[in-house]
Amino acid sequence: MIELVLFFALGVIFLILLYALTRRTDVRAEGGAEALLEARQALDSLQNGLLPATLVERIFAQEDLDFVSSSCSREVRVLFLRERKRMALSWVAQVRVRVLRLWQFYSGHSRRYARLDLRTEFSLALHFASLLIACRILQALFYLRGPYAAPGIVARAIGAAGNVCVMSERSLSFLSHVNAFRPESAGNSAET
Amino acid sequence: MDVQKAAEDVHRRTLATIPRALDRFIYLASTRDYNTGMYFHDGLAARFSAEVACEALADCHQEAYRQLLLCPVRELVSQMEAYIQSSHTRPRDFIAAWRELEPYRVAIPVRTDPFSAEFLFSNFRIALAILEERLVNSRRSLRVA
Repeated sequence: MIELVLFFALGVIFLILLYALTRRTDVRAEGGAEALLEARQALDSLQNGLLPATLVERIFAQEDLDFVSSSCSREVRVLFLRERKRMALSWVAQVRVRVLRLWQFYSGHSRRYARLDLRTEFSLALHFASLLIACRILQALFYLRGPYAAPGIVARAIGAAGNVCVMSERSLSFLSHVNAFRPESAGNSAET
Repeated sequence: MDVQKAAEDVHRRTLATIPRALDRFIYLASTRDYNTGMYFHDGLAARFSAEVACEALADCHQEAYRQLLLCPVRELVSQMEAYIQSSHTRPRDFIAAWRELEPYRVAIPVRTDPFSAEFLFSNFRIALAILEERLVNSRRSLRVA
């Protein structure tokens, strides 16, 4: 009789533990899925919207400045530089936000999905840190000296961001099907 | 596969006769219903299907948009000059309308990256300023002559 009661008690405890474990897993999966989706969107935005070389080259093209300087008045040149400065600051700010979002994902959730060894994690952290520092330097330079002040740092930041994208792509590759479910990002309303 | 064939058809029959990216961009935007975001082309829909025609036109629109986005300012200015001439509008009216209404904002394809769209709008603003300045200068030189 005592044995039966013991077995029954153990069974109940086991069921309670199982229930608690299931609930805990559910909560994690929901939060994790959201974080994964955000990380995937940040990565897509970097790869397809902000980092393509053709677009970045266009934003910082010396050719446009030369054209405006040689064939337009001072007023138009001022307008051109103002517009380019605004775009350069917006570009670097958006790159930084996306990179921060990816970093938050890595620091908070990545271990659940991707098995990163210590070396990869360290290398990734180094890339993120150098990229965020480069973004801050670029922001200061663009703000103080305009969009044509630091072509070297722009190139380096793009390179570092490219590395981060490649590493993120590897660990998020299993998520490619998520694209089909993500909300349409831009539509016709452009962020300013 | 059908979409690709339909896009080739659009290129061969229609876009081949429109040499400038700006004109192609405006034309393709005009085939889109603003209420639904769907593209319509009767001839293309008859040859393929309405859905395939819509997708093909959307692809062509995206392509024209990318070409325009990557245009140097010099080229954008000359494309706009040619577009004004072909539209038979007075340059002064055209510049005023584009400045105030910014019609290019509703002409961009859906699912466009907001940053790239803003960059194109910025280039349009610069090109309009250059065109306006050229217009003022040409009037001045006419008066002097």
